[in-house]
This record gives sequence, structure tokens and C-alpha cells, in this order.
Amino acid sequence: MLFDVPWNVIVLQLFFGLALGSIFVLLASGLSIIYGLLDIVNFAHGTFAMLGAYAVFVAISLSGSFLIGIVSAIVVVGLIGVVIEFILLKPLYGKDPLLPLLLTFGLSVAIPDLIKIIFGLIGKPINYPEALSGATVLGPLILPNYRLFIIFFTLAVLISLWLFLKKSDLGMIIRASTRDSLMVQVLGVNVSRIWTIGFAIGIGLAALAGAVAVPTMAATPDMGVDMTMVAFVVTVVGGLGSLGGAIVGGLFIGLVVAIASFIAGEYATVSMYFCMAVILLIRPRGLFGEVGRE
Amino acid sequence: MEKKLSKKISRRTLLKGTAVAAAILGLAVSFIGQTAMAQGTIKYGTMHPLTGVYSVLGLDQQRATEMAVEEWNAKGGLLGKKIVWISRDDQLNGAVALRRAKELVEEEKCDFIGGTLSGAISLAMNEFACKNKIPYVAYCQSDMVLGADQCKYGAAFMVIPSSAALAVSKYAFEKIGKKWFSITADYRWGQSLLEGWIWQSEQMGGKFLGNVYAPLGATDFSTYFPKIMAANPDFIVMNNLGADQTAAIKQANELGLTKKMKIVCSKTAMHTIQELGGVYDENIMGGMTFYWKLRDKYATSKKFSDAFQKKYGKPIEQDGESGYVATNVLFMAAQKAGTVTDKEKIMNAMEGLKYELTKGPEQVRACDHQRVQSYLIVKGKGKKAKGWDVADIVAEIPGDSIIMSCENNAKKLPFANVKLPK
Repeated sequence: MLFDVPWNVIVLQLFFGLALGSIFVLLASGLSIIYGLLDIVNFAHGTFAMLGAYAVFVAISLSGSFLIGIVSAIVVVGLIGVVIEFILLKPLYGKDPLLPLLLTFGLSVAIPDLIKIIFGLIGKPINYPEALSGATVLGPLILPNYRLFIIFFTLAVLISLWLFLKKSDLGMIIRASTRDSLMVQVLGVNVSRIWTIGFAIGIGLAALAGAVAVPTMAATPDMGVDMTMVAFVVTVVGGLGSLGGAIVGGLFIGLVVAIASFIAGEYATVSMYFCMAVILLIRPRGLFGEVGRE
Repeated sequence: MEKKLSKKISRRTLLKGTAVAAAILGLAVSFIGQTAMAQGTIKYGTMHPLTGVYSVLGLDQQRATEMAVEEWNAKGGLLGKKIVWISRDDQLNGAVALRRAKELVEEEKCDFIGGTLSGAISLAMNEFACKNKIPYVAYCQSDMVLGADQCKYGAAFMVIPSSAALAVSKYAFEKIGKKWFSITADYRWGQSLLEGWIWQSEQMGGKFLGNVYAPLGATDFSTYFPKIMAANPDFIVMNNLGADQTAAIKQANELGLTKKMKIVCSKTAMHTIQELGGVYDENIMGGMTFYWKLRDKYATSKKFSDAFQKKYGKPIEQDGESGYVATNVLFMAAQKAGTVTDKEKIMNAMEGLKYELTKGPEQVRACDHQRVQSYLIVKGKGKKAKGWDVADIVAEIPGDSIIMSCENNAKKLPFANVKLPK
């Protein structure tokens, strides 16, 4: 017991915070990769998460499989990212940094409206896959299987991403481009293509976040607004452009929200903005951000 | 460029030109205005959240108003004049709504205003209407007819929040159990519902185990549930709406809570049930002022909901239905008063006005301009749901059993004395 609260309740609360934080990690790591590689502040990040949720809805409606839904989310939305980067963003590179920001802001308004026209104003239900429903009992703890899935799925995605960035040739080129794209270009690499791939990976991660989060709610055209806000809070806390920062920041904010929900529920949302404000005051570049990127 | 301009147009010429243009424009506007007057039209302006998360409900409000206006115009208009209806998007934002209301009254010269989906916005609209002495009919659940907010020119056409709470809590304490825990959206509407629940709980021997306030727009409720699981209530009360309610119920279901205890929503909506798919089953129930299946009980409901379904291809939500009734009653009052210019006379005519439009016989209570209407309790159909047949009506609580006396409402009693948990 801690302050008259049983231990199992406290552990369960932290478990939920960890699961929530895992979704935040997926969201923020995508935003961080895009910022790190392209220096673009993607205001439409949550919008792509929303597209991921709708991709799951369409895939499940057609195939009945949640797994196919997850795969379609990353593939379809990643491809949409490629098209957007190639047609809309590429012409803006090297120009006023405000232009891509305005473009992504425009996308965050236009894409939900397009979804409303295609799918209607009412949200679409997506149920938990049968195999992941129910709960795992560990002594006095009852842990919902879908939340366990979110945590382990995020872990698997992060390990794959780490292996890709650290061990593959393409990953190394992406990391090098993040550091100094001019030098990479001088070495004969088509950096423009690297940017496209990086943008698609970032968008794909956002889509994954939307895809795994949507069974806990419903796919609605405006769900991206809050997701964009969360992604920014986590990225600012963790440090802009830092993948490690996105991971630590995401889990940290998830736990903060969980603890705040328990102590004073009405401050759950405010608590994460409060954390962001404190971090900005004492360490403007975020927990893992580089100097000069605050 | 400046030099070039100064050579062509002198400042004096520019000023003269501007003055002439303004005069012509003024004459044109005046001419258009006079033409409209000569044609003899009546203007009704409404505001709805047409963008944002509640746009689905805003659209229903708009359509229902359109339907009512078209029906009146088809019958020859109001007092022989055509009704011109102007609709604006208030974005569910108080400041925007106030700007729209000013536009509607000062620029569009509307004779009446109506609409809004938020109780908080309706309070601001009510204040605006009272200052400007223009009739305002609210389509949403609102406290504007209570206490110091009561005013001659405002009328509320959905139930007040405490009535919704009284109706649903009465059913829950009689049919489900006594121990309850609530999740309340942390704003005025949610708190008003909670006041109603706590008061009723005291009257009916309920046991209030606790409440969590969740910020409006919360998408994750999983972190609230361990506390509720530890309290082990007979039922969880949802004092929230829309996407908040969808997420809260979905996540309660994920934890298996919908099988262990019941979920009772003070207000629920047809589209929320549909969004939840099979999750919203017979263990989940909620309150509504209107559900299309009422067509099986009242001939008026059948006529109204069939007409809406035929015109727009889907059944109407309760928020649209209240708009339809509000629009009709407003025009009926003006018809009865025989005027559109004497606003006080119109509101006098509305006081105590009896009608039967979409449900059983109803009236606008004279003392506080509150529509006295029944409140429905619906139970989800879970996986048996098909199309818009998502719930069954299990009870219809009579309107006069869920409103307080005129004297109590004028003092916001007994709810003003309820101490809300922190």
C-alpha cells in the first residue's frame, strides 16, 4: 500500500502509462526522423496517424485481418508520404523554412476534410483483434493483452528501426545525411532520394501509431489534431531530431499522464504541457537534443 | 511604384473617388435592403458546429432547421411572409459564436436566432439575446433557463443537464444497483450532470464511490480505470459525450469492465453507439431526448423521423430533433402573436405554448422557457445492431418528473447546494 492505494493498482496504473507512452514513442520518433533529416516541422504528423487508422479500417473491412491492417497502414501511408514529399515538399527545399511548415499545416486541414468526404463525418469502429482481447493474469495483476501488445509491438518496431539505421548501408547513409547532407552528396549519394525515404519512414511510423491506437477509440477524421500536439510535446521534451529523445520523452510523458490521471484526472492533459514548459525553461534543447537545435 | 501612383492619382482625387464609391455602395446596400423588405421576408439565423469533432451533430441541427423552414415556406411562410434562413459555423467556439450572432443580428438583420450545440455557448448566446432583445432558441442541453441566467428572450429546447441526470439515475438506481462511480468531462455541462447524480443518489439511497474528472477531448481513459476497478461499483456513470465517450467505453470494454459492471451514460448518441460497433451491448445504456425508434410509439415521431430519413438518407439525432422543435415552436409563437417585430409579444406567446410535433404532447413552461419533454433510456444492441438500428428504448421517463419547480429553478435549487467532489 502507498498512500492507501494497493500496490497492484499502482503497478497497473504505471503499466497503462507505459502502453500510452509506447504510442507516443511511435508518433514522436517519426516526427523526429523527419525533422532530423529534412529540418521540416511536420504539422500534419497526426493527420498521417489518422490516415493509418483509416488504412486499418479499410484493410480489416476487406480482409478481416488486423495484421494486414497494420501492414497496410505503414505501406499505404508511407507511399502517400513518398508522393507528398516528391510532388509538394521537394520544390520547397532550400527556400524559406516557413514554406514547408505552412504546407504541412495546409495538409493537416485538407486531408481530414478529404476523409470526411470519402468516409463521412461519423467515426469508423475498429475492434480489438480476437487474439489480442482478454487479459493476462500475473498474480494480483490483470494486464489487458492489447496493451501488452502495444508495448511489445513498439519495442519490436524500435529494435528493427535501430538495426536498420545502425547496421544497413541505407541506414548509415540516412544517419550521415542527418549530420551533413552536403558531404554525403559530394560522396556521390543521391541525397534527394534519401530524403524521400526518410520522410516515408517518418510518416510510416506516424501511421503505425494511429494503427495501433485506433482499436482503443474509433477512427475519426479529426483524431490527428491531438496526436500532432502529443508528438510535438514529446519531441520537444526529448529533443528535436533525436530518436533516443523521442523514446525517452514518449515513455516519460506517458507515465506523467498516467500518474496525473490517478492523482487529479482533470490535469492529465495539462500535466504534459507543464512538463514541456519546465523542460523548455531548464533545458531548451530537450533531454537529448543537440546544442543549436533548441 | 509610389512615384508612378502619385503622378496618376492625387490624394484629393483618391479621397473624392473613395467618397463617391462609398455613396454608391451605400445606396446599393440600402436599395437591396429595401427590396428585401418590400418582398416581405422574415429572417432566422442559426449557428452550429459545422467543423470539428462535433460536426456530425452540427450537420443534423442544420438539416433539421432547413427541413422545418422548408415546411413552413411550403405552407405559405410565417404570417404570409417567406422565411429566409441563414446558417453559420460557430466552430463550437464561444468567441466565434458571439461574432456569428452579431453578424446575424447586426448585418443580416435576423429577426430571431437559434442553434448551438454547447451549453456554455448557449449561455453566452442567451446573454447576447437578452441584451439585444431578440428571441434565441437553444438546441442543446443548457442551464440558461436557471437562476440569474433566466431571461425573457431565451428558451431551451433540449433538457437541462440535471434533468438528464435525474432521468438516467432514477432508472439506474431502480434497475441496476446502488454503488456508482463516475467519469465526468471537466467542464460546466459534465459538472451539472454530476450535481444531478449526487442529489438523486442521496434521495434514492445510492452509494457514491468516487468520480474522476477527465479533460474534454481525452482519448486515453485506461489510466482512470485502475481506481474504478479497485472501487468495484455496480455501474460506471459516463458524464461525457462524443469521442470522449467512445474512447472511455471502448477502453472499459478492453479491461472486461463492461462484463463485470454496467455502464450508464447520462447522454449518449446514435453515432457514438455506431462508432463503438458491437461493443455497445445490453450492458451499456444511455439517455437521449429522441431516438428514431420512437416512431413505433407516436404517430408524430413516425411522420417526423420518416420525413427526415427520406430527405437526408439517415435517421435524425436528438440534437437535430431539438432544432426542429425549437424552429417550429418559435414560428408558432410568432404566428400566435401575429407579429415578428414585437419580440416581447412573441416570447409571451411562447410561454405555456402547447404542441405535439415529434413525440407526445409537450409545452414550453411559462416560468422558465424550458421545453418540458420526456427523456429516453436506450440499451445497446451489441453485435445484433444493424445499420442505424443500434439500440432499443427501454424506458421513457416523463418530462414533468425530471424538472424542478419554477421556484427552485429560479434559485438553481436543489443542485446549487450539492457539493461536488474535488
